[in-house]
Amino acid sequence: MQGASTGIVYGGLKYQARCIADVRADPDHTSFLAGTLSLKEENEVHLIRLSPSGNEILCEGLFYHQNEIWDLKSCPYDSRILSTVYTSGEAYGASVWKIPEISSQSNSPQLDQLVSLDEHTAKIKSVLWWPLGKHDKLVTIDERNIFVWSIDSSNKIAKVISQESVGMLHNLSGGAWDPHDRNAVAAICDSSLQCWDLRTMKNANAIEHAHIRDVDYNPKKQHILATAEDEFGIRLWDLRMPKIPLKELPGHLHWTWAVRHNPDYDGLILSAGTDSTVNLWQVSVGSEDSAIDSPRDRRSRQIDPLLNSYTDYEDSIYGIAWSSQDPSVFASLSYDGRVVVESVKPYIQRK
Amino acid sequence: MAGVSTPPPMDEKAKRTRDLLASFYNNTTNSNSGAPSSPSASSNLTPRAASSLDSINSPSFDASSYMSLLVEKSNLEGLLQKHVQMAAEIKNLDTDLQMLVYENYNKFISATDTIKRMKSNILGMETNMEQLLAKITSVQSKSDSVNTSLFEKREHIEKLHRSRNLLRKVQFIYDLPSRLNKCIKAEAYADAVRFFTGAKPIFEAYGDSSFQECKRASEEAINTVIQNLQGKLYSDSEPIEARAEAVVLLKQLNFPVDNLKTSLLEKLEDCLLKLEDESKDVSVGEISKTFRAYLIIFPDSEQRLIELAQGLFSRRYDAVRDQLKKRMLSVDLLELLGIIWEDVTTIDQVLPEAALPAFSLESTCSSIRQHISIAFSHLQHGISDAVTGSQSKSNESRDELDLQIVLENSKKAAMQGSLDLLAELRQFFDEKLELLLKLRELITDWVQEGFQEFFQNLEKHFILLSGSITNNGPLGESSHSDVLTQSPDKLPTGLVLVLSQLAVFIEQSVIPKITEEIAASFSGGGVRAYEYGPAFIPGEICRLFRSAGEKLLHLYINMKTRKISVVLKKRFTTPNWIKHKEPREVHMFVDILLQELEGVKIEVKQILPCGVIKRHRNSDSVGSGSTNSSRSHPNAMREDKLTRSNTQRARSQFLESHLAKLFEQKMEIFTKVEYTQESVISTVIKLCLKSLQEFVRLQTLNRSGYQQIQLDMEFLKAPLKQLVDDDDAAIDFLLKEVNNAAHERCQDPIPLETPILDKLISAKLVKNKDLSASPL
Repeated sequence: MQGASTGIVYGGLKYQARCIADVRADPDHTSFLAGTLSLKEENEVHLIRLSPSGNEILCEGLFYHQNEIWDLKSCPYDSRILSTVYTSGEAYGASVWKIPEISSQSNSPQLDQLVSLDEHTAKIKSVLWWPLGKHDKLVTIDERNIFVWSIDSSNKIAKVISQESVGMLHNLSGGAWDPHDRNAVAAICDSSLQCWDLRTMKNANAIEHAHIRDVDYNPKKQHILATAEDEFGIRLWDLRMPKIPLKELPGHLHWTWAVRHNPDYDGLILSAGTDSTVNLWQVSVGSEDSAIDSPRDRRSRQIDPLLNSYTDYEDSIYGIAWSSQDPSVFASLSYDGRVVVESVKPYIQRK
Repeated sequence: MAGVSTPPPMDEKAKRTRDLLASFYNNTTNSNSGAPSSPSASSNLTPRAASSLDSINSPSFDASSYMSLLVEKSNLEGLLQKHVQMAAEIKNLDTDLQMLVYENYNKFISATDTIKRMKSNILGMETNMEQLLAKITSVQSKSDSVNTSLFEKREHIEKLHRSRNLLRKVQFIYDLPSRLNKCIKAEAYADAVRFFTGAKPIFEAYGDSSFQECKRASEEAINTVIQNLQGKLYSDSEPIEARAEAVVLLKQLNFPVDNLKTSLLEKLEDCLLKLEDESKDVSVGEISKTFRAYLIIFPDSEQRLIELAQGLFSRRYDAVRDQLKKRMLSVDLLELLGIIWEDVTTIDQVLPEAALPAFSLESTCSSIRQHISIAFSHLQHGISDAVTGSQSKSNESRDELDLQIVLENSKKAAMQGSLDLLAELRQFFDEKLELLLKLRELITDWVQEGFQEFFQNLEKHFILLSGSITNNGPLGESSHSDVLTQSPDKLPTGLVLVLSQLAVFIEQSVIPKITEEIAASFSGGGVRAYEYGPAFIPGEICRLFRSAGEKLLHLYINMKTRKISVVLKKRFTTPNWIKHKEPREVHMFVDILLQELEGVKIEVKQILPCGVIKRHRNSDSVGSGSTNSSRSHPNAMREDKLTRSNTQRARSQFLESHLAKLFEQKMEIFTKVEYTQESVISTVIKLCLKSLQEFVRLQTLNRSGYQQIQLDMEFLKAPLKQLVDDDDAAIDFLLKEVNNAAHERCQDPIPLETPILDKLISAKLVKNKDLSASPL
């Protein structure tokens, strides 16, 4: 299972880093955005691209970003727009940026700030774009509130449409936007996962008693989502049955930090952990009912869901992203600033 | 000599041509074509190919052609010879003809003579015949006259005879009552019945008029007969044949026998019921006798008797099954089954049609099966009681001491329980019961299956007890809902470790032992279809328990680290690290951390074996290259004091740490956990330190915050190393990693001066000593 280092390494990030995002709106290239996390420096956002031959990573752009980046998302409909969440000392903020024309010879141009999302009163945790395409709204989550913004990038205007506080007792730490339903957002709370309805700004549904670090909706099947948790590793849920998880995967030896569904191959899940590994899982959820299965099925189910464990990392991995342009490719970012792009083809073909 | 001269002067050429032709026509007769004397060969070419010299006897003989042929073929001498021969033959034929004519003439003459004689004989017969006819006619007329003269007398005699018969019958009927009474006295009931049935038609015809008196008397008599017969039937002392006869007689008297039968059978049923209630009141032997008697008495009652017998035994087996619901010993069960089996065989001799042996075999099967499954479930309860039961008894303060005892108890329960059960079940084979011999293979299978299921259930139960599959586990474990009601959270973490160790024990000791025992006494079987293989698959069970053991061990570690993780989380999320005050003392979370780890150590020490002291996998290599093995942050820290530009400093630091990593081997923090004290403790510590590092990375610190962490880590170094006997390197490495993380996340990373560090640490140590001294 121990994969030899098959990945293509990009070592251009000079600082620690946590965030990597797929540039979904770039139809021609496998591109990722990575942002660094350094207290003292001018941080950078790297636009990196897998060369057409697929065996080299090129840095297409390097942009200064003043503060350390804790969250970075690429706009799903405009490859030149991205959002970051940053802190500086005790200060915090979130902005939507536009990548400047690369024509200028300047080595590390500044990003153009389109909008600053500065209505927040608590530490901002993440900015969410609706994942599947053009949508004029943006959701931001800070420790206490959920905001819905109306974004007009051409006029550089952002307005808060609605806002709801979860109260002092809860601590939001992140979330995900349902690709099947523009009105549903899953927000990670202290000990639960809350599903918000953006129309009413009410908590509609919740998975209780789960200390979740990351959540990701299944892009193929509605109501299905995966969570990365401290206690149980990875669990798959059907939101219509929030009491009982559909599946449990062991996760990582230490914390399971992030979990991502493959955008194309159903049941292919990637997870990253602080044990310096990235695990590739294959699970099937849904149509086949686990209640009625013969012993033979049970035996086949005992096939290890772990397809591969990528261990060639030096430090904890906080960022993983599938490429939506080539769904068999993912990028991982370890804390030491190394981006590794791997292809999962050998493991898919086996199916 | 003729042969030599016969061939005409035929040249070679003509001969060849003839041969060719012959071969062309493919004639089989010309095999002698090459022979010099073959006139037939040439004649073959003529239209009358069939005629030859030999055809003289054939019907198609043609004299002229024969002649010409003869003349053509033969020389003079030959012709002469033929002539002589023919003349002789003709002469012969002539004499033969004459002889035949003479003989026939002779016969004709004798035939004529005979006919002449017959003619003369017949002439005298006719007169004799006429005389005879006349005599016969006279005889006939005389006989007719005699017949008519005797007719009247004969009729009279016949009439007299009839009336005499009638009188005799009447006399018989008048005598009937007394005769019947006589029969009753003599107990010749059969005669009585015969007489009565004989007279019955007459009574029916004239009973109301002429024979009224007589009929009454005889009916009275026959009533007594009936009563007597009934009495006879009911009395068990009478011989069966007599009773059977009585029934037959009663039937002849048109007595409603069926009522009798049902009443008798009901009596029997009561009797059978009684047999169940107070078992020794009526013996089965008697019952079987009764059965036989009834079979003979009422041949048509078999069906009912079969029902009765089956009812009897099904009730008895039900009773056995009821008893089985409580755990009973195999011996007792065997005894019960033995008794029933004996009874079954007794009755079967009488009533083979009831198929009692098959029925009882079936019932025995099911009871034994039930027995086995109950035995196994009791065993499982026993084991789980050994694990959990003692826990409820032991109060919290003594809990720590008890873990070891719990482990020993449950080990004993598992091993001894399984062996005892096996020994007990083996008694099924010791018994020389015919019934059980038949079931031997089945029982073997059941026992194997039982073990298989038992271990599978046990494993499930372990996992369930440990609570790793919470009540919202992925598969709705409805079957275990009863266990779920007792919240799995209540199980102390120590017991998870006990379970883990127990699983290992079962895998390594119990299963091999059981396999051995099964091989010794429960091998074979194989009534099950072959595709399923043997019922008990130790390999599979071993795998199951090995994985369960590992799972439980990981669960234990997981539970422990989670607990510590909560402490750490609180520690790192509550204070504002950017406005941290200068460190005055070692933070108290360290105490809690150490306390927890100490708790782990105590639990682990009781249960897990001491591992072979083994250096960490990488410690040797790290040790040898210790000068450059440590991360280069100390250098970086020193450099901090130099006044370089901020950017350059940090970048160089980052690069250096990268460089250092290149030289340093990757530290294996997450090694495989072994079932040893050291391994578990060090794993827990490593996981905690890793969590610590991750928590630090999520914060932004000021200088004091960094210093605080530096102080805490420095303090932790000694006690952690004390906890972990080996693996110092890993601990060092991780503590340094925490420090590095803090350093990275610090806005102004200036470490504490070593003297201050030492002072604070020793102050803490003194304080701790005081604290530990005061309660004592």
